[in-house]
Amino acid sequence: MKVQPDLEFIKSLKLAGGDTLKKCYQCATCSVACPLSSDQKPFPRKEMIWSQWGMKENLIADPDVFLCHQCGDCTEKCPRGAKPGEVLGAIRSYAYTYYGWPAGLAKLATSAKNLPMLIGVPALIILIFWFLSGAMHIPSVEEFAKKGYTNFFGHWDFKWYAKNIFFIVAFMVPAAGIAAFSIYKGITKMWASMSKNAGIEPTFRPSVMQFLTQFLVPSVTETLQHKRFKECTTNVDRVKGHLPLVFAFIGLFIVTCWSLFKQDVLGLIWPSLHGPLPLIDPFKLLANASAIALLYGIWVLWTNRTAMEAKGKSSRTFYDWFLIWEIMAVGVTGFGAELLRWAGLPTFGYIVYFMHLVSVMMLFLYLPYTKFAHIVYRTTAMCFEKYRESGFAKNVMS
Amino acid sequence: MTDEQGTAGAVLVVGGGISGLTAALETAEVGNDVFLVEKSPTFGGRVAQLNEYFPKMCPPSCGLEINFRRIRDNRKIRTYSMTTVKAVSGGPGNYEVTLEVAPRYVNSNCTACGDCAVACPDEIDNEFNFGMGKTKAAYLPHAMAFPRRYVINKDALSAAGAEAVKAACKYDAVDLEMKTETITIKVGAIIWATGWVPYDATKMENLKFGQSDAIITNMMLERMAAPSGPTGGKIVRPGDNKEIESIGFVQCAGSRDENHLEYCSHICCMATFKQMTYVREQYPDAKIYVFYIDLRTPGKYEKFREERMADANATFIKGKVAEIVPEADGGVTLIAENAVTMEKLSQKVDMAVLATGMQPSLAFQGAPVALEMDANGFVITDAAKAMIAAGCAKKAADVVTTTQNSTAAALKAIQVSRR
Repeated sequence: MKVQPDLEFIKSLKLAGGDTLKKCYQCATCSVACPLSSDQKPFPRKEMIWSQWGMKENLIADPDVFLCHQCGDCTEKCPRGAKPGEVLGAIRSYAYTYYGWPAGLAKLATSAKNLPMLIGVPALIILIFWFLSGAMHIPSVEEFAKKGYTNFFGHWDFKWYAKNIFFIVAFMVPAAGIAAFSIYKGITKMWASMSKNAGIEPTFRPSVMQFLTQFLVPSVTETLQHKRFKECTTNVDRVKGHLPLVFAFIGLFIVTCWSLFKQDVLGLIWPSLHGPLPLIDPFKLLANASAIALLYGIWVLWTNRTAMEAKGKSSRTFYDWFLIWEIMAVGVTGFGAELLRWAGLPTFGYIVYFMHLVSVMMLFLYLPYTKFAHIVYRTTAMCFEKYRESGFAKNVMS
Repeated sequence: MTDEQGTAGAVLVVGGGISGLTAALETAEVGNDVFLVEKSPTFGGRVAQLNEYFPKMCPPSCGLEINFRRIRDNRKIRTYSMTTVKAVSGGPGNYEVTLEVAPRYVNSNCTACGDCAVACPDEIDNEFNFGMGKTKAAYLPHAMAFPRRYVINKDALSAAGAEAVKAACKYDAVDLEMKTETITIKVGAIIWATGWVPYDATKMENLKFGQSDAIITNMMLERMAAPSGPTGGKIVRPGDNKEIESIGFVQCAGSRDENHLEYCSHICCMATFKQMTYVREQYPDAKIYVFYIDLRTPGKYEKFREERMADANATFIKGKVAEIVPEADGGVTLIAENAVTMEKLSQKVDMAVLATGMQPSLAFQGAPVALEMDANGFVITDAAKAMIAAGCAKKAADVVTTTQNSTAAALKAIQVSRR
C-alpha cells in the first residue's frame, strides 16, 4: 500500500485539538476501552494511525468517527496521553468544514479570529431589517406590557400576515435554508463516500418509508434515550447536561411551531390570539421549562468541559466552545428578554431581544459547520451503521 | 579481613543481587575494601527467583554459586544480610554511613540442619514464591540461600512455636532475644545496586489481578517453573491445579504506560519467549497466545524470537490486552484489538500471565539519602558525590547488561576512592 500523507490535513487536526495524535503507538487499548466499539469494526485505534498518516479520505467517510460521543474513556486509559477522544473530535471538526457549503462560510466558522465577522454579519443583517421595517422605536412601558416583542419589527394592517413575522421570516428562513441545503449536500456526499469505502454496491435502494422505519427512526429513538451516551464511564456526567439540552431544543421547537400556527393560522380567525402567551398557557409552561432545561444543560456542559480542561483530559478548542457559547447566548438572551418584559424595561428588553435574534440566527446559519452539525452527521452515521449490516447493502447479483 | 570501621578507599555496595555481587567483587578484586549490604536474609536478589536466565538459559545456581564462592574467598568483602542503610553523612571520599541490622533470631551457630523448621508449628506466606504456598516461621529463605543460615519471623511465632523452635535446635543457634543493631562505617564511595520490584499488578484495574487465580505474573510463573518452586516445577493453574491447555501472555502489563511505568521494562518480551519454552516443555500441545504492542528482542536475541514464533501452536496478536474477564469455569477471557486484522477479539484461556515490568526499588520504598534520580526513580550516577548507580537501580535491564554496568560502576567507585 502506498500512503501519500496529507500534511495539511495532519496540521489542521493538530490545530483543532488533536495535537497529541503523534503520540499514539498503536497498542489498541482505546478500541477495547471504548464502550461503542464493536468486535467487527473496532475504533478508534485505526483512526489514530489514519490520522498520523494523513489519510483524510478514509477518515471523513468513516462512520465510526461520527459514532463517537467523546466520552473520554479511551483518553483515560491511553498509556501515551495520545487522547484519541480529542483526535476524533478534531477529525469531526475537519469533516464538518470539508462537507460544509459554501466553503468560505464553513471555513469562517472554524476560528475564533473570525468571531467579529461571525457575530457582526448576522447582527448587521438584523439591524438593517429593523431599519427597513421602519419600526425602529422603543415602545412605551404600557405598550411593551401589552405587546411584548410582537411589534419589534412594527405592525401593519394587512391581517393575513403579521409584519413582525414577515421580517423575522425574511432573515431566519434564508439562514436556515442555507444550513439545510449545506447539510443536504454534506450528508449526500458523506453517504456516497462511506458506501464507496465500505465497498457497498447495492442492487436495491431502500424506499423512503423503508429508510425511515428501518434506519432513521431506530437511530433517533436511540439518540433520544441516550443509550450509547450512557455507556460512557469516565465522563458519564455529560449525559446530565446533554439530555436536558436535547429535550429543551425539542420543547422549544414545539413551542415555536405552535406559536407560528396560532398566530398565523388561528390568529386569522380569532385576532385575539395575537400577543404574548399568558403564563399559565401549557405551551408557555413548556417554553419556560425548556428554557430552564436549556440553561441547566448548557451550564453542566460548560462546567464539565472546564473541569476536563483543567485536568488536562481535553484541549481547549474553538470548535468545542463556539457551540457552548452559542447555546448559552441563546438561553441567556431568550430568558433575559422574558424577564425584562416582566420587569417592564422596554429599552433594555429590546436590546436583549435583538441579541437573542442574533444568537438564534447564528445557531441556524452555522449549524452545518460547527459542533452542532453532529445532530445530522451522527444520525447519518448511525443510519449508515444499520444500513451497512442490512440486506440493502448486499449485492444480490454477484 | 577488612577493618570494621572501613577506610577512605572502602566502597559500600547497597544491594546484594547480581549487580551488587558483581560490583562488590570487581571492586574488591582490584584491592579496595568493600561492604556489601542486603536488606533480605539472603543474597542473590531477583536472579535467585528465576527458573532459568539469559543469555544461556542457566538455572540461577549457575552464576550465583560462583559469585557466592568468590565472595566467601575474598577477605576484602564484608557481607551484611538483613541490613539497611539508615543515614549517610560526610562527603565523597569520607562518608560515614549508619547501617541497621535487623534481628535474624538465629546466630552463627546455625548449620542449616532444618530441625527448627520441622519442629515449628507456625506458618507464613512464602514471600520468595510471591505468596504461592506457605513456609514455616523458622525457615531457610530458599534452597541455595547465602548465607546458609535459617531465619525466624518472630512476629509470626506463637509461644508454643518459640518453645518448639528453641528446643529443636541442637546447636543453641536460636536466639529470640536478638535486638536490632546499628553499625557505623566509613567509606569513600557508595554503589547503589538496589534493584527492582515487580510492578504491583493490582494497579492495572482492567487486568483484574487478584480477582482470579488464573491471572498470574511473569515472576510467579518463574517460581512455578522452578524445581524448587511451590509446585516443584509443574506449571498449573493456582487454586485448582488445572493442567494448562491454553495460556495467554499479556505484554506491557504496566510498562510503556504513563499511568503506570512510562518506560519499556526491557526484559518482559524476552522473559515471555523464555517462558514459552517452559510451557512447551511441559505441554507439547498447549495453545499459546502472546498479546503485544511491539516485540522487542534486544541484542542477539532475534533468533530466539524466530524460533518461538515458528511454534505452530503459538499465536501472536498485535494488540495490548486492555481488559481481562474472569470466567466461571476458572479461566479468563483476554480482550484486545488485533491491529493487523482490525478485529476485536476475546480469547478464552486457562491461565493469563501478566508480563509486569520492573519498578526501581527506591521508587517504591524511597531512598535513605537524597540521590539524584530521574522521574521514574532510577538513580543517576553523580561521580562528583561518589554516588554511583548500578544494575536495575540505574535502568531496566537484563542480567548481561546489569553485570556490565555493575563492572563500570565498580571502576567509577575505584576511581573516586583513589582521587
